[in-house]
Parts: sequence; structure tokens; C-alpha cells
Amino acid sequence: MSNKHLFQKFGFLRAPFGIGVGRYVCQLQRITIKFCKNHGCSLGIRSFLEHDLIDYAKQNPGVVVYVKPRRHRSPVLKAEYLNGETSWICIANFSRQDIIQWMELLKTQYHDGPALRLLKLWHTDFPSIQGPWTPFTFKNPPLNQIKFPDKKIGEALKFKPTATEELITLFEEQQEAEKFDQKIPVQKGVS
Amino acid sequence: MNGLQLYLQSLLNIKHVNYGGYRYIKRWVSPTQKEITRRKRRLPPQSESKRSNFIDWNRNSEIYAFNTRLSEKFDTEKLNQAFTHKSYIVAELKKQQEMGIEEPKLDISHNEEYIEKGREITSEIVKKYLNRSLPRLPEVGIMALHDYLMSEQMLATASSHIGTKDIILTSEHPVSQQTLAQTFVALVGALVESINVDHASAFVRDFLIVGLANKDLTEIWCPTKPFELLNDVIDAERKMSIEARLIGQAGKNTILSVYHVGIYANKEYLGSGFGETIAEAKDVAAINILAQIYGLHHTSQPLRFNEELNVSA
Repeated sequence: MSNKHLFQKFGFLRAPFGIGVGRYVCQLQRITIKFCKNHGCSLGIRSFLEHDLIDYAKQNPGVVVYVKPRRHRSPVLKAEYLNGETSWICIANFSRQDIIQWMELLKTQYHDGPALRLLKLWHTDFPSIQGPWTPFTFKNPPLNQIKFPDKKIGEALKFKPTATEELITLFEEQQEAEKFDQKIPVQKGVS
Repeated sequence: MNGLQLYLQSLLNIKHVNYGGYRYIKRWVSPTQKEITRRKRRLPPQSESKRSNFIDWNRNSEIYAFNTRLSEKFDTEKLNQAFTHKSYIVAELKKQQEMGIEEPKLDISHNEEYIEKGREITSEIVKKYLNRSLPRLPEVGIMALHDYLMSEQMLATASSHIGTKDIILTSEHPVSQQTLAQTFVALVGALVESINVDHASAFVRDFLIVGLANKDLTEIWCPTKPFELLNDVIDAERKMSIEARLIGQAGKNTILSVYHVGIYANKEYLGSGFGETIAEAKDVAAINILAQIYGLHHTSQPLRFNEELNVSA
């Protein structure tokens, strides 16, 4: 088993300041495309730059796109977000279609999601809606009317019948049986 | 015999090409990396690199993107001025002097004026907005919420979350909280100059007042003498005085004692609260009722962030 998660960034899922409450603000502030002009692994990104980059920049005027050629290094996408987070993707040997999709992903997130280990799958600022627990929470309403000390409530709890009680039941059963025996001859006589 | 033939065949098939990809074990890599890491560890903590010093940096595009990202219509010149702090100009002039220029000159203006003006306007907008969305809250409470929003930390958070951190022109690095806060109010000032106050109020609402969205408002402001205040409020509204009554108690004279106190006005139940002592429970009950009256309670309707404000009128 790997212990990679021990060194991973961890935290709760939190939205950046004011996101989704006021107006829409694209959280991606700038993206740098680093690539090589003649290496084979940059083929996809070169065709992306040729065909799709202008459209991408036109559709997202709020994102500053930098293109940075460098010799014989793998192509890379580096995104910087408004909350100061960065996301880095190596796109060596990626096709043009893949890169379009990764660029879309970088635009729609606000941090590198998979890089954060979630401590819990939910988070709330109000952990309890009904307030802190007290001895009076979920109290049975009839208990409000009772005047203490109360004999019925104050009784010791009984889980088993006592020896006396068992004797009494045995005696009662015996008497019932005797009554039954007495009744049968009478019934016989009637019929 | 067959075995020997096979052996000879395979020996003949070995060509020079087969050794083309052979690489020896690079035994210097690991010691070099280890030495580099050791030296890095010995160095004092390095300062964060300045984004605007990178090769891939275009200030004009950044300014343009800032404007469109927030869907605002800042005047570009005024926006540039709002980002320029006095310390930057002083530092640049000093640099020129050191280079040997006799009459150092820099043809850009700083944002002192915008900061002053913006702070006043922001404060006014915040007060008006809070007065409108929490109409029953007394002046003290409004001022407490206002001070919370106008605090340096809150302004700096709002400022850094709209992406000013890298664009600010100042002599200090990394940018301090104070500078970030000043930049936010300077932006409001610049927006007022670019368009008008009403438009600036929408900016303040969308980027600063939204900070109250997920906060417990009673944590920001809580009356110091809640029972007396509640008495005054009920007296003013219904001409009645309130009385506190003990509803329940448990664990008296122990460290786990709990008291449940309800507050009534003319035998009508207003609310209740819990506490470790009777006095504490009484105050908690009064705070609960006041928070419900003022709309600060977590069960009250949440604050609205879509109201248009008419500041100029």
C-alpha cells in the first residue's frame, strides 16, 4: 500500500470567498502553455495552438493566456487561480481533442481537485440545526406535569419476576387448574 | 551437436546494433541530487518569486482581463492609477537617481486620492446596504457589522479574491494585507470616477458584502446587556415588561449544572435559552429572542445579496 496520501495536501471542501453569491467570476486568472516547436510530443499542443487557441482566448476574455516555447522539453499547462492556487498538467503526447478538454477543465475548477485529500465529504458552518444538546432536549412532554417524588416513576426497574411473584403465579395457575377440574364433571352431567 | 549449432547461430546473430541502446549506470546522478538537496536545505528560506518578473507577463493583458473577468467597465487609465501605490513611484524615482539621472521623472499618478475617496464611499455603501437588509437592527449592530466588513483583513481577502495581488504596483514584496485592503477601496474610488456611485455599490455588494453570506452574524455582534436591551425593545413596542422564569434545571450544585430559562411578556412565551448558571441562561435567552427580532438568528431569513442600492439619491 502506498503512503502517498500522507504527504498530500488535505482539508475540507470549501468554496473561495464569495463565490456563487455575487456575480459570476471565472476563477481561472491566467494559463501558461509551455511547448516545444519541433519535438514530437508537442504535436497535439501545436495543432491546438494553430486551430483552437484564438477561439479559446476570445471566449474567455477574463483569462490571460501566455504561450511559452522552449526547446526539447515536454509540453505543460500551468493554470493560476484567483485564490492563489496553481494547477499543473503535463500534456506530452496528448491529442488536440484531449487538450481542448483539459483546457475546459482548468477553466471550470478553482483548484487542483484531485491533489486535495478530503478529510470529510461534507462541511457545514452550522453543524447543529437544533442547537447544543441539553438534558431537556427530546424530553417526554408528559414528564412536565408530574410532581416529584412520584412512586410510579421512582420504582426500581424490574427485568425478572421475583421469587415471590413466581410463587404467586404458580399458586394462581394451580387454582385455575383446580377450578377447571371441578367444572368438567358438571359439564359431563349436563351433556 | 544440435546444441552447439544453436549456440553458434545465436552467437552469429548478435550484431553491433543490439548494443546501440546500451547505457551504463549513471552513478553520479544520485550523489549530485543529494548534494543539491543538502545545499538547498542549508540556505535561508527563499522569498516567493514575483509573478510580474516572469518572462510570461503582460501587464496590459492582465489589466484588460481583470476588467472583463469582473464584468466591469473600469476606465483603463483610472484602473492603472488605482493599482499604483505611492511607494512604487518613490522607489522608482530613487532607482532613477541611483542610476545617475539628475532630474528623476515618472509620468504616472498614484492612488492616494482614490483610497481616501473609495474608503468613504465603501463605508457609506456598506452602511446603507446593511440598514436596508437588516432594518430592525440598531445603529450599534449596524456599525459592528460595518466595522467587520471594513476591517483590513476582510478588505484584503476580498481584494485578493478578485485577483489584484499580482497586478498591484508597490515597492514591497510580498504584498502586505494593508496594501491589498487599500487597493480594494482604491478600486471602488476608480469605479465611481469611471461610471457612477450606483454602479460602485453593486461592485461593493458583489465582492465585499457577500463576505457575510456564510457567517454567524451573532458572533460578529452580540449585545453586552441583552436582558436590559430586550426589556427596552419590548417596552417600546408593546408597553410591557418582560420576566424570566426557570423552566427546568438539572445537576444543581455540580459542574454539569444546566438551567433552562424562558422569557415571557404578559404570560406570553417569547423564547428560551440554556446556561450553566441562571444569569447566563437568562442572557442567552434574551440574545436568542433579540437575534430573532433583528434577523440575525441562524433560523432567520438569510441576507439578500441581489438588492439594488440607490446611493446617489
